[in-house]
Amino acid sequence: MVRTTDVTFSYPKKTAVFNFPDIDLNEGENLLILGKSGIGKTTLLHLLAGLLQPASGAITIDHNRLNSFSSNKLDRFRGLNIGLVFQKNYAIQSLSVIDNLQARLLFSRKSMNKTFVFDLLKQLDLLALKNSKPNELSEGQLQRLGIAMAVVHYPQVILADEPTSSLDDENCKLVIELLLQQAKRTNANLIVITHDHRIKSLFSKSIVL
Amino acid sequence: MKSKALYTFLSVVTLGLSIALLLGIKALTTSFEYQIENNLAGIDLVVGAKGSPLQLVLASVLHMDNPTGNINYNEAKKIAKNPLVKTAVPISYGDNYKGYKIVGTTDDFASLYNAKLATGATPNKSMQVVLGHTVAEQLHLKLGDHILSAHDLVEKSEEVHDEELEVVGIYAPTHTVIDRLITTKLESVWDLHHHEEEEHHEEEHDEHEEAHHETKHQHNEKKEITSLLLSFTSPIGLLTLPRRINEKTNMQAALPKYELDKLYQYTGVGLKTVLWIAYLILVISSLTLFVSFYKMVKERAFDLALLRTYGASNFQLVRMILYEGIIIGVLAYLTGFLISKIGVSVLLQSIQTNQIQNLAQGLPFMAYLQIAGLIFTVIILSILLAIYPIIKMNISTILSHEK
Repeated sequence: MVRTTDVTFSYPKKTAVFNFPDIDLNEGENLLILGKSGIGKTTLLHLLAGLLQPASGAITIDHNRLNSFSSNKLDRFRGLNIGLVFQKNYAIQSLSVIDNLQARLLFSRKSMNKTFVFDLLKQLDLLALKNSKPNELSEGQLQRLGIAMAVVHYPQVILADEPTSSLDDENCKLVIELLLQQAKRTNANLIVITHDHRIKSLFSKSIVL
Repeated sequence: MKSKALYTFLSVVTLGLSIALLLGIKALTTSFEYQIENNLAGIDLVVGAKGSPLQLVLASVLHMDNPTGNINYNEAKKIAKNPLVKTAVPISYGDNYKGYKIVGTTDDFASLYNAKLATGATPNKSMQVVLGHTVAEQLHLKLGDHILSAHDLVEKSEEVHDEELEVVGIYAPTHTVIDRLITTKLESVWDLHHHEEEEHHEEEHDEHEEAHHETKHQHNEKKEITSLLLSFTSPIGLLTLPRRINEKTNMQAALPKYELDKLYQYTGVGLKTVLWIAYLILVISSLTLFVSFYKMVKERAFDLALLRTYGASNFQLVRMILYEGIIIGVLAYLTGFLISKIGVSVLLQSIQTNQIQNLAQGLPFMAYLQIAGLIFTVIILSILLAIYPIIKMNISTILSHEK
């Protein structure tokens, strides 16, 4: 459950103020946020993840108002309840695929459910690569690892930042389907921000910034 | 990755080197202080022939130098009778056996160093000797063995006395100078040199027996010793007696503690210089450490930001870096400890002569703790400065810039 009300944000030493439309998502609902470059899409995503603090307004996830949390509590909340997918996917280079997932769970203070993790890797076609290092993976495999990292801890909200911008049509559809599938599996809210109109038809709810 | 490993290696090596120098200097200082303190053996004053007071102390207390000359035994005995004098131990030497000095003295000499007999007995007549522990061990001598002393204090002296000295006792180790001495009665030294003089006079005055008897009588009158080691019943002795001896007799009184402290201050300049070099290396290594961690934090900024999105708190990230620093610190300390142990041992082996013994002293636990405390303070300071960017990290900016 994600709700935002009258959220505004401005970067220090910059006069431009971002005024964001309100968001109201019930459990399991997904949202596509479309907008051109520089409109504040990533800023909104970072606000939703608690990486930035709004100048005004409220962001609520599962009845928890993010801007009321202390820094440490916010870190803990983020680790437990939010999964982030980036346009370019990163993982800790010195750790294998499975160890990266374990590290993700460790920081979320969750123990590893091997059955769930192996099942997740199988669905994302990464099981055979579980012991490989990130630099041994292709771009597509890294993208899927990014998705695995975002959902392995059963988050309430999955936030994806331009996950398809560099993908061809086929892979673009594949990645979004995987994200939707994983969101459904964990009953999480999926919020995707993009300028890529190809995926609009895959979401029932969308906002244009 | 390679540069990170190189920086870490450099940090460990430079830190290890400064730790080795700090521990080494501390060990050397402790060893020298122990050596001097132990060999002072409660001797408050040394009375000997006029000359350099330091030379007198080195010769009479540490047995490291040639004596300044001899003094009249009867004159020395007058000083020993002073009511302020608690103990007065005469020593006389001039001979050696294979480089180990033969000291003519009284039984009180052994008491100065708490030397106990490991085997045998103390000499009850002239020409009997008791060996220090090291002498017996190094020269493989045992009770009943006979030795021929060589004239002078030089090991390779070619003038060897004809009279044999009999080994009647061996001291247990004391870790003091007595371990490397051969002690005997004063009479042994006098007899050895009396015979020498007799032979000399016999050659010159073979036909004048009367003159020969006269020489023998004069010899008894002019019995000489090298020095008299005094301890006082009260500190007043230290204030009055040295001045009186120096002003009113043809002997000199030297304060061993004062002379050795002075010597230590002179020789300590070198150690102090090395100590400052060690601190300098410590500063350089802490800078290397700072650069290494700062570079790591900068290079891994995205990884660290990513960990923050996983739920890691600032404190957890700082703790991760601190652990890395502590591992480097422990490795450096172990490296430094080993280098210092080997270095000090090699150095002391190279300077240990027949005159200096058992220099190496283990450092007290507090000394190790103090240096460990200093090193870890430096490491933690370097890390805290290096991780400042983590504390000020703007995750959003880092993640946005990586897009």
